[in-house]
Amino acid sequence: MSTITKETDLKVHEDGELVEGNPTFASVTADISRAPEAGTPKLWFVAFGAALSLMGLGLTLIGYLFWEGTGIWGIQNPAGWGWAIINFVWWVGIGHAGTLISAILFLFRQRWRTAINRFAEAMTIFAVICALVFPGIHVGRVWVAYFMFPLPNQMGMWPNFRSPLLWDVFAVGTYFTVSLLFWYVGLIPDLATFRDRAKTKIKKAALAVFSLGWRGGNRQWQHYERAYLILAGLSTPLVLSVHSVVSFDFAVSLIPGWHTTIFPPYFVAGAIFSGFAMVMTLALIARKIYGLEHIITMRHLENMNKIMLLTGMMVGYAYSCEFFVAWYSGNLYEKAIFINRAIGPYAWAYWTMIFCNVVVPQIFWSRKMRRNIPVMFVASILINVGMWFERFVIVITSLSQDFLPSSWDYFSPTFFDVGIYLGTFGIFFTFFLLFLRFLPMVAIAEIKGVLPQADPHYYEHNGHH
Amino acid sequence: MNSSSLAEQFKLPESLKPGKIALIVGGAGLLLSAVGFFVDAKQFYHSYLAAFVFWTTIALGGLFFTMLHHLTGATWSVVLRRFSEAIMVILPVLAILFLPIIPGMHDLYHWTHEEAVAADHILQQKEPYLNIPFFLIRAVFYFGVWFLLARTLKKYSTQQDNAPEPSLTDKMRRFSAPGMLLFAVTLTYAAFDWLMSLNPHWYSTIFGVYIFSGSLLSVLAFILLAALYLRGKDVLQSVITLEHYHDLGKLLFGFTVFWAYIAFSQYMLIWYGNIPEETEFFLQRWEGSWKYVSMVIVFFHFALPFLILVTRAAKRNLALMKVMGFWFLIIHYVDIHWIVMPTLHTEGFSLSWIDFTTLIGIGGLFVWYFWKQFAQQATVPINDPKLQSSIQFTNA
Repeated sequence: MSTITKETDLKVHEDGELVEGNPTFASVTADISRAPEAGTPKLWFVAFGAALSLMGLGLTLIGYLFWEGTGIWGIQNPAGWGWAIINFVWWVGIGHAGTLISAILFLFRQRWRTAINRFAEAMTIFAVICALVFPGIHVGRVWVAYFMFPLPNQMGMWPNFRSPLLWDVFAVGTYFTVSLLFWYVGLIPDLATFRDRAKTKIKKAALAVFSLGWRGGNRQWQHYERAYLILAGLSTPLVLSVHSVVSFDFAVSLIPGWHTTIFPPYFVAGAIFSGFAMVMTLALIARKIYGLEHIITMRHLENMNKIMLLTGMMVGYAYSCEFFVAWYSGNLYEKAIFINRAIGPYAWAYWTMIFCNVVVPQIFWSRKMRRNIPVMFVASILINVGMWFERFVIVITSLSQDFLPSSWDYFSPTFFDVGIYLGTFGIFFTFFLLFLRFLPMVAIAEIKGVLPQADPHYYEHNGHH
Repeated sequence: MNSSSLAEQFKLPESLKPGKIALIVGGAGLLLSAVGFFVDAKQFYHSYLAAFVFWTTIALGGLFFTMLHHLTGATWSVVLRRFSEAIMVILPVLAILFLPIIPGMHDLYHWTHEEAVAADHILQQKEPYLNIPFFLIRAVFYFGVWFLLARTLKKYSTQQDNAPEPSLTDKMRRFSAPGMLLFAVTLTYAAFDWLMSLNPHWYSTIFGVYIFSGSLLSVLAFILLAALYLRGKDVLQSVITLEHYHDLGKLLFGFTVFWAYIAFSQYMLIWYGNIPEETEFFLQRWEGSWKYVSMVIVFFHFALPFLILVTRAAKRNLALMKVMGFWFLIIHYVDIHWIVMPTLHTEGFSLSWIDFTTLIGIGGLFVWYFWKQFAQQATVPINDPKLQSSIQFTNA
């Protein structure tokens, strides 16, 4: 349809280039390799020291937990599940943004994802590691934790295959494996770049091993692109399945407030919501410190804010749907639990959740606010606070007031609950800081692919002008 | 080239107004259905409701597709926008077609029986929501919202044809954001009202999402078939290319999985919970020959289309895609039929001729109005800033 020439007459409506400041291929490599190649800044040591200390605290407390048993936590009858499960769900949820960005946005041809995908995938892996701490330690008898896996044994004893807790092991395990693989495959061309730039022999040798002999030839790229597409296709259902299975932990039971059919998609939306919030918090800090504002641009931040607005609304939809159907069901217990959430002893937690998850993201209706860094920084943190409280509300309100009023009790966490939770932050940031220090935090090869120069017709066009 | 000559170029040829036949068929279908009303009123109302919901969900899918297109600023779907626009503006017509359901409420909805409510503790609790006046007020509200959304988006789109204003693209995008919110709420509660309350004790929080997933699949199938029909008549052949069909195929593939995910979530959680107020719905659909319909849905709504559409070659095979278009429309009707009918034919699956006449009756009007709307304007949004890119787009 060559007759249409309208487009050139109209101001094409685009949000600007994906990378600002008209960079060259070389300058992109230089900008992203700068931090890993330069010496370690003091600030990094300070942060790393803090992270290591927190991790040390967490591991020490976990050691004490093994010694003493789960009684040191705030759990008691009837709330037999406490912070451990809340933190598990929270961390797994945070892990969802990475795969969404690397797989689903890739399949939907959202090219803006290239600036943040590496970063988000790394975050995913570390978040899942933090999450995996909890199922292992919450069982009480850690020495039989291997029982979570269906290992053949001489007693002929198997885990209950109808239990979603077992499905969790498979779902999160698969998710972790595929995410790691996806992340690593994406890293290969960049590791080769680092190898070629390495100054010392040892560094070069190590990077040569991990870049799997990458030469950047045409054939290698073809295979690489195909592998990436296949991994994206495989990861896409995983984005949905993992948190769906996590939601089954609750929803297959008959506990009021847990047993409701919307749980799987509702959990997935919430996971993406909190994952994006975490990516936002970390990206805002990293782009500032490492001077990557021209690569992770306002456009990226704005898009992420839009996704948070969308997923925040989905979560709000689920809250209201649950509330309505609890009333509509005519089921006394279902109704009671929801009214209790809103005006009962944990109302403060419920309204914190509503405020952070439903009210706060509304600010992103305004374009001005979507492009305001302090606002989005605060909002992203509030959203993760809200998403923690969402899990708190689900776990604690439904459990602590069960069918027998005589056993009702108020749940309060102990020092050990808080300490182990903080400890997982230590684990997370220890890994994350190592990642920032040693690996390319933005996908160099992919960024080059979205530069205008990467268009095969780029030079022809410019020739005409 | 100016707008008017472009509009001329993209006008549907005069020889090609397929609406007339559809109108006649639709009219005949509705007349026969009216006969059906005198033969068996109860059957008529149930058949009519199923047919009405089937076509309404397609129209709602059209509204969703249009708004999603604007919100994401998608390029590839620009050339398909006129299809989804012509589908969504059928919603006001469907509002009129809703009217026959009102006298049928007594036959359709058990909760409208005063003596039943008086004897049923749970129905009494639901009375503030499930009562005739409020039900009707809500229906008016749903159609009001849909009318507003569809008309406004259509208006902006038409304006852009006459004046090449990129700001209108922005306007449509900005309008679609709150529009999506209203869409989600209205579709959910319409699904609760019209379908879920057929089993007044039964409830499922995911039900709105379930209906939505079927609605999106069926509108993709409808757009696919309409475009392929024009392709057969040598219209828009070089505009809607293989690449666009490939993308439609990907979405059909993706959302058949999404549908399965939602359907499985609903079924699995209810099966696992195993409490009577919830299992009632699935037990009813496992009664007698309904069991086979349930199995047909599992295989034909998910398993088989999943296997068929998984390869790239399949999605780029237009003959096959045509089959899949009809396939998804038919299975979506089976799904709706399976939701509505077991409340009438409790003993087993039983097809009535009124099922066909109502389906064809409303469908005829639907198709007629669709082509009427579609032919009114250029077949592509000629002043959309991304039109050229959309035509030239290729799947890497």
